[in-house]
Amino acid sequence: MHSSKQLYNSSSLYLPFDCEIISIKNLTPAEKLFRLRRLDGAALGHLSGQFVQVSLLGWGEAPISVASSPTRDGYFELGVRRAGSLTGAMHQLQAGDIIGIRGPFGRPFDLAQLHRQDLLLISGGCGLAPMRSLIQYCEDRPEEFGQISVLYGAKNPEHALFKDDLAVWEASASFACSLTVDNISSGDCYSGNIGLITALIPPLSFDPAATIAVIVGPPVMYRAVIAELKKKELTSDRIVVSLERQMRCGVGKCGHCTIEHLYCCQDGPVFRLDEVEHLRGAL
Amino acid sequence: MKILTLDQLDQFFTRISETWELRLPVLLPDGTRAIAPFTSAPPALLGGAVPGKPTAAFFPQQASVFTVYDGALQEPQTPDRPLFIIGFTPRDLACLRFIDRFFADGWRDDIYFRQRQHAVVAGLSGLCGPNGAMIPPAGGDCDLEFFFDGSNWLVVPYSEAGQAIVASLPDSSSPKTLELFRQASAQPEDENEILIKRASELLQADRVPDSFWAEIGERCIACTGCNLACPTCTCFGVQDWRSARQTERSRMWDSCQLDGFMREASGHNPLGSEALRTRRRIHHKLAADPEKWGEISCFLCGRCDAVCPTGIGMVAVARELVTRFGLTESKYLVTGG
Amino acid sequence: MKRTLTVCPYCGCGCMFYLVSNQGRLIGVEPSTTHPVSRGGLCVKGWNAYAFVHHPDRLTAPLIRRDGSLQPVSWDEALDLVVARLRAVQEKHGNDAVMFASSAKATNEENYLLMKLARAVFGTNNIDHCARLCHSSTVTGLAETFGSGAMTNSISCFDQTDVILVIGSNTTEQHPLIGSRILNAVRKGTHLIVADNRRIRLARQAELHLRHKNGSDVALLNGIMQIIIAEGLADPEFIKARTENYEALAEAVADWTPERTAAATGLGVEEIIAAARLFAGAERGMIVYSMGITQHSHGVDNVRCIAALAMLTGNVGRPGTGVNPLRGQNNVQGGCDMGALPDLFSGYQKVADPLVREKFAAAWGVTALSDKPGLPLTRAMDAASAGHLYGMFIMGENPMLSDPDQGHARRVLENLELLVVQDIFLTETAALADIVLPAACYAEKEGTFTNTERRIQPLRKAVEPPGAARADWEIICDIAARAGYQGMRYSSPAVIMNEIASLTPIYGGITYDRLDPHGLQWPCPDREHPGTPILHLERFTRGLGHFSPALHQLPAELPDDRYPFVLTTGRTYFHWHTGSMTRRSHLLDREEPRSFIELHPDDAARLGVRNRDELLISSRRGQVLTTARVTDMVIPGVLFMPFHFVEGAANALTNNVLDPESSIPEFKVCAVHVEKLP
Repeated sequence: MHSSKQLYNSSSLYLPFDCEIISIKNLTPAEKLFRLRRLDGAALGHLSGQFVQVSLLGWGEAPISVASSPTRDGYFELGVRRAGSLTGAMHQLQAGDIIGIRGPFGRPFDLAQLHRQDLLLISGGCGLAPMRSLIQYCEDRPEEFGQISVLYGAKNPEHALFKDDLAVWEASASFACSLTVDNISSGDCYSGNIGLITALIPPLSFDPAATIAVIVGPPVMYRAVIAELKKKELTSDRIVVSLERQMRCGVGKCGHCTIEHLYCCQDGPVFRLDEVEHLRGAL
Repeated sequence: MKILTLDQLDQFFTRISETWELRLPVLLPDGTRAIAPFTSAPPALLGGAVPGKPTAAFFPQQASVFTVYDGALQEPQTPDRPLFIIGFTPRDLACLRFIDRFFADGWRDDIYFRQRQHAVVAGLSGLCGPNGAMIPPAGGDCDLEFFFDGSNWLVVPYSEAGQAIVASLPDSSSPKTLELFRQASAQPEDENEILIKRASELLQADRVPDSFWAEIGERCIACTGCNLACPTCTCFGVQDWRSARQTERSRMWDSCQLDGFMREASGHNPLGSEALRTRRRIHHKLAADPEKWGEISCFLCGRCDAVCPTGIGMVAVARELVTRFGLTESKYLVTGG
Repeated sequence: MKRTLTVCPYCGCGCMFYLVSNQGRLIGVEPSTTHPVSRGGLCVKGWNAYAFVHHPDRLTAPLIRRDGSLQPVSWDEALDLVVARLRAVQEKHGNDAVMFASSAKATNEENYLLMKLARAVFGTNNIDHCARLCHSSTVTGLAETFGSGAMTNSISCFDQTDVILVIGSNTTEQHPLIGSRILNAVRKGTHLIVADNRRIRLARQAELHLRHKNGSDVALLNGIMQIIIAEGLADPEFIKARTENYEALAEAVADWTPERTAAATGLGVEEIIAAARLFAGAERGMIVYSMGITQHSHGVDNVRCIAALAMLTGNVGRPGTGVNPLRGQNNVQGGCDMGALPDLFSGYQKVADPLVREKFAAAWGVTALSDKPGLPLTRAMDAASAGHLYGMFIMGENPMLSDPDQGHARRVLENLELLVVQDIFLTETAALADIVLPAACYAEKEGTFTNTERRIQPLRKAVEPPGAARADWEIICDIAARAGYQGMRYSSPAVIMNEIASLTPIYGGITYDRLDPHGLQWPCPDREHPGTPILHLERFTRGLGHFSPALHQLPAELPDDRYPFVLTTGRTYFHWHTGSMTRRSHLLDREEPRSFIELHPDDAARLGVRNRDELLISSRRGQVLTTARVTDMVIPGVLFMPFHFVEGAANALTNNVLDPESSIPEFKVCAVHVEKLP
């Protein structure tokens, strides 16, 4: 399942380097958080919004967003949903196991654009994983931003990611934090909002000229959330989306992640809405 | 430049194959032509472009990415001898130029360049098209070019490597060859080029309704031949094969005509219908690539039209598209408001 | 770098392509531009036919079951044991207590040899192969009506016809290079009628799409013939000159009025009349059919009606006409031609005929050959449970997934005294075996395959087999030698073909030197004969074409309150049968990675089922988990499920009821219950 040899001193673009799993945490019944470090001790060198290719020998590769902020030293974290054979195999791994990583790849969140702006950080489902990297960055560097609102929607309380983090952010003075779930089942101990994430937006009051909204979520979420934001007069150049595609190579070659002329793995995954909203199949 | 008789050409091939791994168009047992190692089958330089994509020499249908054996990494081998490939028509050379650019841009694809970087590429033109038709010379995009006048071959160097090779050749002067070369170089744009540019304009202006793609898609049997035969198709899939002691990761030609091409593990699929996939196949070459790379990435080699079992290759679709949505400029302008 | 011209291992189209190899490894496929079927193209399976060959799951050593698990051993040990144990079963229970299952994936030479091994060496006619499951009803039905159970015309005829009736064939998915010809013909003005209740791709291009009830083909065809006769659209000259028993047909269909036909088929009167007029009104009409016709408990009757319709309209024996059963496997035609059948020697020569037996006995150097007809494959499982069959030698077949009623098949295979499986992968069947023999795949050996248009084509070796794997023909010859038989020593498949030609009139003129580049179509009786693109040109093989009327019968199992849906089974475009090759081909498996069942949006709404929901499907025989695919491909009340997937196996549900004449199972209709899982 993993290689026992360091592979990184190589010329090839397609060779992973080895990372050790430091710890594994269950997030939901289907999602785990892997804390990793490079075996050679180097930092991953990523920026919030970027992804890596996780490589398991015998299973291939899968693109996974980095869920931790580069401001957190000595490790990086990946939230992995069990969806296919590779992620299924990954869920069988233990702390101390070695996996291959390539990356980081892709265009990160544009911190210059976000600088001193009020932020609406809107995520749904496992979109909270890449968003968490940005939220952590904001936690660590609050002085770079204005008011920060975190909006998160999950299918149900059980499937909400990063419940510990959410509790911290809710308690934190740095953030306004709103959570909602699509529905609850009878046994759930939950007293928060019930309904779609779009319902969280109308009550918000923000200055559309000083606010940037960032959206990361499942494909069905984007259009609905964008429509709500536009009702509040937020313009497309102030809406940032991170788009998930089936990136196979991460380096703009394999062709699996194109959106018209753009390569999601290189030109994205983070886009300003005005860059992609006119493109077929983007949202 | 030098002019070679057929005998001299044969001697030249023999000499070249001492230094390079020479591949050139050959006649296979059932009359199919292909670019293959010299001496593996009778050479068949005449007949135009070979049916398989010539860029397969550098980007084969399946290639190793790496192998891990007993924990030890083995990268794919660099070829023992550099390739010397004859058989790219001028249109094929344009395709090669395009994918050279593609694989070099940003992250340089080392697997491709492992084969490509030391290769000598020779173009093929002149009276060597199908049934002796004239193929206008490329005039570049290669190390050297072989131009056929019906009896002799003009060899024209373009790169330094080409010049070094040509310098050592004998010369059997034939003014006929030079004159024909000059005439052929000044050939006007052909009908298909106008067609494909027009189709590109219509696509970039978003003049083609989805119903058109649905209709073409109904005629697609998803054989993927259009992509697999296309010299500028570069998409690939990746697989791992694992046995007790070894894991082999390899990549293989993939096709955007397959539902699984962009399907995500969640089931979400940005190319989830035949209509969208058919649109992507044409739109990518005629609209997306011009946006990204500044040129249409179909160079009209004709392979997808030849390989498609149901007649919906690039030229066929472009012709249908232009006939229906943009036969004349005036019609386009009148209805374009 | 090398290119090897060979034959695609998938369907009966028999496309030829070049395998591209480098340093002993396959790296791709290039179509032949001159081959009459592929003509420079291929389908997705053909383009990916290189992909499974070097898969790490390939069997590389003979295996023997010891202490419950399969252990690698030498060939000597494995083959001596095969012979000893086959002999032991025969000594204990009689010669007919063992059965040999041949393979439509193996070459003609290998099918011939396994047939010879069964009959000459082990003294039993218990030899059959998977043609039993796909076109045995064609062989029976067309032998009776025409005298020859093969596609009458050539694939090129699709370019020269005026109307095509496709009934029970999803041609663009199962014979893609024929399906694409039909699409092209339609573009050029050929009329297309599709009779199949799934909305297949051809149906979407058809002038008429008849979505008749599953199992109502006899009613539909009788109804169409009634209209043709009643409206005077038949071809009286052809009927008079070329056929017999017309009066019986006319009488049998006379009361199949359009109204009665409509009631029996669920169709409208108008569309039945339109189909009859369109087909009968054309100068040249082709009928194409496949498993939608054959895999019924009345499959032979279906075939009889198709033959009758073709004769009634004079559509036999000319270009652009004919009865065209599309043979599924790359060499299922050849498997039948070679006599891997319980009642026939090669070339359809009857076991029952003493002169034939004498001829083969003399040629094979044995004193006598059994005159007792052997078991059809589909009766083997019941014979084993009844205590008549104790050992099976299975070459290149996977009945665990391909036979109806999987639970029954498993119990029987597990209880055999001896199960030997010879294959390229450890299939679900091989996993149950006592002895497993590793075989070379199509890219690793020589031989011939016969495609659906009876074209005998040369297979060529491109790469070496993995490990100790050997070609099937070498293994069979080795077994024969170890069994003490001296008459099976050949230096190459070409020599085997010489023997086949000497004993098989329809292959009489076939020698390897004549097969370059693209083979010959049988009958080819002598060395000078150019082959036969169209059968029954001036006379039918049997002399006069025989009208065999058929009575409409319902499927054996119909929906009821407990099992309210009709389940029909089949294949997908991307997988081949039990998936042992395609599920190990990356792109093909990526396309269809899991078992699914198609259900109509109305049924889905009623059951509260959405796309990708997990469903439990139950029949009287078993139950499987599968994934919902909500689609108007199917009609309400009918479900479709492919049988490729070991996890979610359609054949855990299907009904092992057999056509009484051909012993083909009724894969196309059984009754099931659907339950949505939480």
